[in-house]
Amino acid sequence: MSLVVKEIKELIRDPKILIGVILMPIIIFPVMGSAINISTTSVQRAMITASFAIYNEDEGATTDALLGYLYTNNTVITIEANGIQDALTKYQETNASTLLWIKEGYSENVSQGLRGELKVYANLKSLSIAEAGSTDAIGSLLNYYGYFLSIANINSLLEQAGALGEANVVRSPLSVDYQSIIKGNVIDVAPSQIVSVIMSQSVMLPIMVMVMLMFAIQMAATSIAIEKEQKTLETLMTLPVSRLTILSGKLAGSIVVAVAGAIAYMIGFGYYMTSAFSFAPELTTMSTQDLSIGLEPLGTLLLGVNIFVTLVSGLALAISLATFTDNVRSAQSLTGFLTIPIMLPAIILMFSDLSMLPKTIQMVLLVIPYTHSIIASKAAFLGNYALVLRSIGYISVFTLVVLYIAARIFSTERIITARFTTFDIKKLLGRRSTRKR
Amino acid sequence: MQGAIEVSDLTKTFGDIVAIDGASFTVKNREIYGLIGPNGAGKTTTLRILSTLLKPSSGTARIFGNDVVKDPEEVREIISYLPEEAGAYQNLSGYEYLGFMAGFYAENKKSANEMLKEAEVISGLGERLDDRVKGYSKGMKRRLLLARALMMKPKLLILDEPTSSLDVVHAFHVRQMIKEYADKKGVTVLLSSHNMLEVEYLCHSVALINEGKVIAEGSPDELTKKFSAENLEQVFMEVAKLG
Repeated sequence: MSLVVKEIKELIRDPKILIGVILMPIIIFPVMGSAINISTTSVQRAMITASFAIYNEDEGATTDALLGYLYTNNTVITIEANGIQDALTKYQETNASTLLWIKEGYSENVSQGLRGELKVYANLKSLSIAEAGSTDAIGSLLNYYGYFLSIANINSLLEQAGALGEANVVRSPLSVDYQSIIKGNVIDVAPSQIVSVIMSQSVMLPIMVMVMLMFAIQMAATSIAIEKEQKTLETLMTLPVSRLTILSGKLAGSIVVAVAGAIAYMIGFGYYMTSAFSFAPELTTMSTQDLSIGLEPLGTLLLGVNIFVTLVSGLALAISLATFTDNVRSAQSLTGFLTIPIMLPAIILMFSDLSMLPKTIQMVLLVIPYTHSIIASKAAFLGNYALVLRSIGYISVFTLVVLYIAARIFSTERIITARFTTFDIKKLLGRRSTRKR
Repeated sequence: MQGAIEVSDLTKTFGDIVAIDGASFTVKNREIYGLIGPNGAGKTTTLRILSTLLKPSSGTARIFGNDVVKDPEEVREIISYLPEEAGAYQNLSGYEYLGFMAGFYAENKKSANEMLKEAEVISGLGERLDDRVKGYSKGMKRRLLLARALMMKPKLLILDEPTSSLDVVHAFHVRQMIKEYADKKGVTVLLSSHNMLEVEYLCHSVALINEGKVIAEGSPDELTKKFSAENLEQVFMEVAKLG
């Protein structure tokens, strides 16, 4: 126990680890979220406050009705000009983001049942998303106006024909209600919406697993390398305590800090999601629970077990690798290679399902234990517990093998000398001369 | 009578490199015994084998009757090893470090507290023990580590270059403590050094090691007389030439 406490103290008091693992996720995600929020709100504000200019060449009641609609509640600049070229020059001198040109004959066309011709010019100055949003403002106003104009037209036509019916129905004669069936239950939600929720879930999970593993690996590698770098390992190995206890102490300490890091990450990421997407409440209000694909107690338990064995396997692997180095920097660059087998399945499975991939890639991915961590996380959400258990089984076997190797390394003198690599190289080179010292 | 340490025909090779070449020596109970020799003579490797960190390629080494290969756990119970470049956990305070170490030896809280009190005296660091090790000077760190090694009163204390790179004041303090513990508390001490004058002052017996072999053994007095030398330094130079 004292080994675990010491390990945690050492790790948490290391400013690099405290900042990198615990403070960064808590700070960086909310900051990112706020930044996205600020920019998206400014887009919305730009849309709401967008001003536009109107150059009108037409006269008539229909045109007046359109102008009346546009002038109400909007900032409109009226352009007086001789011809469109002149109007464009004058428009560019204003701050208006768009210019609406009502062509001559608009009224006449509309009243005769023809299409009224309008033209919109957008002056793109900064090419930003906010600018695109503000140019959209006039478009939505016109669409809205066009809808009511069509309803009015249909109503008057229906009246003239003496026919029964509603203008809305004439305009859109079909009513389609989309429903989804999940695990045998019919749910009153469109499949496209469910897919988007599952998508966000399946993107989230691999990222979560990946980030947590990277934390754990960095931490365990650092904790061994620090012992070597600060020359404390030798002393530790001569204490009246078994090597396995030392190894377990290291693992447990790293797990505690890694879990703390994962929680910090989740808090930070949760805040990021709510602050970044607060403008789109429909994305966040629909949870997987509502769709009955949420986690049941057994699923939560299995997900926990899955994450735990994944962590232990990563830690054991990191410790085994770090024993071959003698300082923190080389330990971190050596364990950096582990990023590849961790990132690869996470990125691939973020965008696709294993079954969709070519056979050879499937085989490669299935050999990597971290693929199974992600598969198990997804399966836990969908209630496919057999698959979760199979994945946990695979990772556990892998973990046991790695732990066995780590324990072996810890119980030999290699942990002190880590010399056999150079020795092997020398052997390969065939240098047989006996040097004494 | 059984010796505290009995090393017989000890050999250790790393690949093609022979670090110890059939070394044999015996250390009596309650004695301060010095291994002296130049850098790379095999002193550290010998101490590491006796501390159960390395396994010998051949030969045997026993500590109070316990074989270092067959009974490493028993050996670790009775020894305390201080490596030459040992460090302490930077992010722990001196007290926390000593408390952590005492936890491995103390049977209960009371005996752990006694060890800590002992360590306070040995280190002589006073209130600085509340500070993180990170801020300690080299000398302070060495005193803390010596306190760690001595506080549990081991049967055998193994010290690798106990005063190397320390200034006069710290080196003096460390030597005083080693002598006091050996004389008054009955701790057997095995130390290595290339500082012959230090060894002459501290040790009851010494073994001169060169190229992994013990080339002479005896008390400093006996050796200087035998080789008609003024001090151990001259003895070593004489013997090394012969070897």
